[in-house]
Amino acid sequence: MKRTGYWTAITLTWVLVCAGFAWAAEAPIKVGVILPRTGEQAKFGEIEINSFQMALEEINKAGGVNGRQIDLLIEDDTGKPEVGRSACEKLIAQDKVIALSGGYSSSVTFAICAVAQQRKVPFLVTTGSADKITEQKWDQVFRIAPPVSEYPKGLMSFLQDVVKPKTVAILYENTLFGQSGSKEFAQNCQEAGVKVLIKEGYEAGAVDFKPILVKIKAAQPDFVYMISYVMDASLLMRQSKELDFNPKLFVGGAAGFTLPEFAANAGEASEYVFSADLWGPKVPYPGAQAYYDKYKEKFGMPPDYHGAEAHACMYVVADALKRAKELTPQAVREALVTTDMMTLFGPVKFIAYGKKTQQNELPTYLVQWQKGILETVWPAKVASKPYVYPVPPWSARK
Amino acid sequence: MSQYYGRLLLLVVLVAFPWLIGDPYYQHLIILFLLWVAIGSGWNLISGYTGQILFGAGAFFGLGAYTAALLMHKLEISAWWGLALGPVLSGLLAFPFGWICFRLRGPYFALATLALNEIMRYIATIWESLTEGMVGILLMQTFVSKLPYYYIALAIATGCIVTMELLMRSRLGYYFVSIREDQEAAESMGISSVYYKMVSLTIAAIMMGLAGALYTNYMGFIDPRVVFALFDISIMAVLVVLVGGVATIYGPVVGAFIMVALWELFRSGGFGSLASLSKATGWPFMLTVTKYVSEAHILSFGILVVLVIRYLPNGVMGDPAKLRKVFLFWKRQAT
Amino acid sequence: MEVFLQTLVAGILKGGLYGLIGMGMTLIMGVMGIINLSHGQLMMVSMYITFVLFQYLGLDPYIALFISVPCLFVLGVIIQKYLLNPVMRVEAILPHNQLLMTVGVAMVLTEVIRFIFASNYYSVRTSYSASAWIVGGISFSVALCVAFVIACLLTVWFFWLLLKTDLGRSIRAVAQDGEAAQLLGINTERIRFITFGLGASLVAAAGTLLLPIYYLFPDIGGRFTTKAFIITILGGMGSTVGAIFGGLTLGLAEAFGSTYIGMEFEDLIGLVIFVLVLVFLPRGLKGLTGV
Repeated sequence: MKRTGYWTAITLTWVLVCAGFAWAAEAPIKVGVILPRTGEQAKFGEIEINSFQMALEEINKAGGVNGRQIDLLIEDDTGKPEVGRSACEKLIAQDKVIALSGGYSSSVTFAICAVAQQRKVPFLVTTGSADKITEQKWDQVFRIAPPVSEYPKGLMSFLQDVVKPKTVAILYENTLFGQSGSKEFAQNCQEAGVKVLIKEGYEAGAVDFKPILVKIKAAQPDFVYMISYVMDASLLMRQSKELDFNPKLFVGGAAGFTLPEFAANAGEASEYVFSADLWGPKVPYPGAQAYYDKYKEKFGMPPDYHGAEAHACMYVVADALKRAKELTPQAVREALVTTDMMTLFGPVKFIAYGKKTQQNELPTYLVQWQKGILETVWPAKVASKPYVYPVPPWSARK
Repeated sequence: MSQYYGRLLLLVVLVAFPWLIGDPYYQHLIILFLLWVAIGSGWNLISGYTGQILFGAGAFFGLGAYTAALLMHKLEISAWWGLALGPVLSGLLAFPFGWICFRLRGPYFALATLALNEIMRYIATIWESLTEGMVGILLMQTFVSKLPYYYIALAIATGCIVTMELLMRSRLGYYFVSIREDQEAAESMGISSVYYKMVSLTIAAIMMGLAGALYTNYMGFIDPRVVFALFDISIMAVLVVLVGGVATIYGPVVGAFIMVALWELFRSGGFGSLASLSKATGWPFMLTVTKYVSEAHILSFGILVVLVIRYLPNGVMGDPAKLRKVFLFWKRQAT
Repeated sequence: MEVFLQTLVAGILKGGLYGLIGMGMTLIMGVMGIINLSHGQLMMVSMYITFVLFQYLGLDPYIALFISVPCLFVLGVIIQKYLLNPVMRVEAILPHNQLLMTVGVAMVLTEVIRFIFASNYYSVRTSYSASAWIVGGISFSVALCVAFVIACLLTVWFFWLLLKTDLGRSIRAVAQDGEAAQLLGINTERIRFITFGLGASLVAAAGTLLLPIYYLFPDIGGRFTTKAFIITILGGMGSTVGAIFGGLTLGLAEAFGSTYIGMEFEDLIGLVIFVLVLVFLPRGLKGLTGV
């Protein structure tokens, strides 16, 4: 029994020492970030965490907030809402952060919003795209990026001006992003006079999409709109090539279609695929190209819109911290309300429109994979390369 | 009376806890712990005591959760009524479950319940007009403070434990165990195995449904992947009781505590202590360690499960003698 | 018509691969009476091995087969010998500890792989990964066809093993009656190790064959475990012919269900068939034929 006491004493001492270290250290300004470090969404979490940290370094090097450094506390939500909730509770109650950011998956973002709203700590949503997130009149919640219903804005204008399609087939993964995104897009199509021939969901991870693809092929839609995560997107394109399926164009609804892994895994099948996108290195906002190049150099892979969102969030939070009358959550919230700044993701001003409150309104773009590089192709004034349309059929390509 | 001291003390501690520790983070963890006590007790009843290994706990939990959510979302009735209706519906679900699965033995029963759990998840995902599919259902929580949720969870967990105590002392408990030990012999003694298995499953379902209904009210957001989860609910239920001790009343309590504590310990890197340590010392090595530790929580579970089944098959409460031997083994090594 | 034929082809080709996955599990189930819930994870490990061989040594998956299969054989033997066998002998309250042990093994395998490779998606792109033969307007995926053929060859080889060799006879003996086999001088423990190893190798082959047209992620195992036990039950426990049968049935059901009902129902169909077969046809589809 003496030995057990011995071990207990050691453990207790260790715990106390750690706590002591934490308490004694110089207290910088604490901001919490909740993102998926592990789990299925870890890839996106990684891009966003890297971008947050890159921006943090830049800000701190430039003097931080009025001379004080910012400390970013990153918690893993593992892709699950109840874990996101635990993480949020911990950041607020234990770490006493004065602002929160992050939120990738919409369901996790909801859970975090609920806690932030209750505990009155401002939460700047980075990615969580469900429209409902900014439709609840939550005064603690701000969102920098467009909601999923607005993702196809750039696409729709391209379709109306250039393609003028009559029919579409919509294929989406059965997740919140897929189900709500496809519903919104179907509605957009109907309003634009485009007939939805097929609208089907699938469970992510399928091996063989040929049955549904051949059904879509037989229906001969003018274009196909897909909302998928990266690997399903790759398989969909590879199998469409195998089936020699040639609609006028293939369009992805962002997410998996804009990741570099898509081109890496789909290979030639990714060529000429379009996608909605929220950002690209050539957008006319200061710092966009520089960030793209710096990220690519540091991490080996180019970033996509998720990274840009995260980077911009860090700057918006820092800006609010600078303007806040005092460093308390409520003062930071009030500073966020009056945000009016330019970031590499676009101008940031939280306004109310439609059913939404505290939502930043931004245009979206259309991108196209050309020779393995994601080029912004529409609107023309921000295009990095001209679009390729009509798209050559599979057999005509080398 | 002295045998109750330990349990009463535990109850007192749990009741006093939120007053002693006002930190909502820890309160949240204890609420999760209490939910798992309820779910684990239900699993323990049907699987530990009655011997029918259930891999479908998520089906009952999920149904309870959705009942509460849909009451509010579709009928504009307060989701708290879900605490009454949820367990009822889950209990009713036990009938078709049982009808389909009880004719199967052992592993086939387990697989069938797993399949039914998954089927329910798919139905909830596809039937968007009823459940909103993967968009999920969002409810505003009634209370800002955690205390009401805490005490309701405590009441539910205590209720489950007390039910288990009473059940296992009664004739019903005896029948359950005899079915587990030797179904044919029990039948030949006039114990209808189908009837008693059904009773056992129904009570288990009620416990899980109750936990599900509270989950909806507390978390405010549910979707099919979260509440009908195969790994996070169904398999976790198995692990919780396995580690804590199958077929012991307090096994689920010990197991729930260990699992919740371990999970959060790993996820947060020692409740944030590793992160503080690495920041304070500034060693890059510590940062790597922190990263690896926080990503290792499921690995730790897996290893724990393998070790428990291999060396401690009846769990912590089930094999206290073996457990002592394991610790003594460590001590002997240290010497 | 094209839709129907394409669906049919898709179903059959996928079914061949499924059959291979099911064979491994049914073998283990037949001989040892345990359901191996880590089956899909074993497949996942073999896929990672194939990936590593491709990425770092440039080995084509079809050649990597000769390495991944023996590796998984060894892994299977180790799992059986050190983890499952000891549990079989222990008296515990719950008689199904082996089943739960396989769950634990599945978790450990998944997480160890995640530790080493992180949660990144990887894939192997060979010259034939996205190519297909177009015959009569119907697309035949090259990789799936080759996988189908190899699956058939492996099945034939496996039958030869079971029917014509001593080892095979011993396996069948232990499957029929373990105690009697022991009395006849067969080292049942060794046979059990070998059987688990063989089951693992079969699913390893399936994994290697699947890799060119699918992708890698630590969590893909669970999906295939579910398919495996659906196939096993469909085909009748312990019957290797049944597994092929079950695989084809599942492949076709999924393909036709996808096309004519809806793709979101694909996995649901398999599960519903599973439950129906368990309830109404406990001996699998073979029970229908009265064999």
